[in-house]
Amino acid sequence: MATASNMLLYDKVVRVTHVYLGPAADRFIARQVQNHLHKSPQELSQSDLLKLIDWIRVGVSLITDDSEIIEEYASQLLKLARAPGKS
Amino acid sequence: MKRTNSALKSYTWLTGLFFLLIILLPANHLTMQQYKLSAAQYHTLLFLVELPLVAVWFAAFYGYAKLEQYAAAISDTPEGPAFKQLAIGCKWLAWGLPVPSLLALLLGAIANNHAGFYSATVIIGNYVGLLFPLVAFSFISESGRELIQRAKLNFTAATAKNIQFVFVVLGVIYCYLIFRHLDLHSIGASNNQYFLPVWLLVISLIIPYLYAWFIGLLAAYDITLIARQTKGIFYQQALRLLAGGLALVIATLIAVQYIRSVLPRSGHLSVSATFILVYLIYAATAAGFILMAAGAKRLKKIEEV
Repeated sequence: MATASNMLLYDKVVRVTHVYLGPAADRFIARQVQNHLHKSPQELSQSDLLKLIDWIRVGVSLITDDSEIIEEYASQLLKLARAPGKS
Repeated sequence: MKRTNSALKSYTWLTGLFFLLIILLPANHLTMQQYKLSAAQYHTLLFLVELPLVAVWFAAFYGYAKLEQYAAAISDTPEGPAFKQLAIGCKWLAWGLPVPSLLALLLGAIANNHAGFYSATVIIGNYVGLLFPLVAFSFISESGRELIQRAKLNFTAATAKNIQFVFVVLGVIYCYLIFRHLDLHSIGASNNQYFLPVWLLVISLIIPYLYAWFIGLLAAYDITLIARQTKGIFYQQALRLLAGGLALVIATLIAVQYIRSVLPRSGHLSVSATFILVYLIYAATAAGFILMAAGAKRLKKIEEV
């Protein structure tokens, strides 16, 4: 069941992703969550983040060869994963 | 994938028909005399001359097919309708390359045997040449406006002034070059290379062409602006490719239409400096369509992974 804090985490991931994927960010993250974590975007939890970041890394490497930007993007997401408890 | 197949199937049919007409239609007597050619040599020369154009058509059909695929992939998103319109516009641009050429071959063959039909060939050729960019630029312009409004962007007063200045200069030079061919002593005189009375030429060709080019140039600017201002590093890279390609396609097609309407169609093959210039511009058009296809492919990839 979706809660306000879970929604917030999803929104935070989308916000970070927006810097890299612009208007496609929301759709991209929703697809990663649904296809690889087999959850609805609203159900995304802190414990899913590391796995999600791995899948995002794989997905983005199919879009670009620029490993520097991929790492920068992943490190921005990792900051969210390391953030304490409620996100 | 279906859309690429459908576009490439259309391309194959059009190209096949085009080459068939080149081989089967009777040779133009005037060209044969001018270049001292036999009928077989004429057909071979025509085939070789048209070959690069057919390559440009391929780039155009491939480009619009890729854009259609991307538009279909994001059809349910807020940007979907705008990209669908953009794809329709590009489809009209692509079809606007082979259809007038096919028609010119057919009408030219009729005029070759019935001299009285020559004026009709020129008139029909000019109107068909106008129809495709007019429809295409209308769709592309609508799409550009929609994307601009969605992104809450607009150009500055200085940019608007620059666009107006460039357009006024192009328009005035265009009118000057056209009016040189006309007998301006009588507004109803049609003894000119366009075979139209001056008033009809102004209303039905000059004004629609200027309108089409204006909205075409504005659309190119709108889409380039969106690509520059949009957020998302990867998305922007792909959109810049698409927008750059589209701007190149629009600018080069306008250049070709400009040259073709200032120097009316002769109805027969004539290898001249203008002819070579048009080919060079068409090469840039093909490059534009390929850039557009590359951008659309990358954008689609973003929606797939």
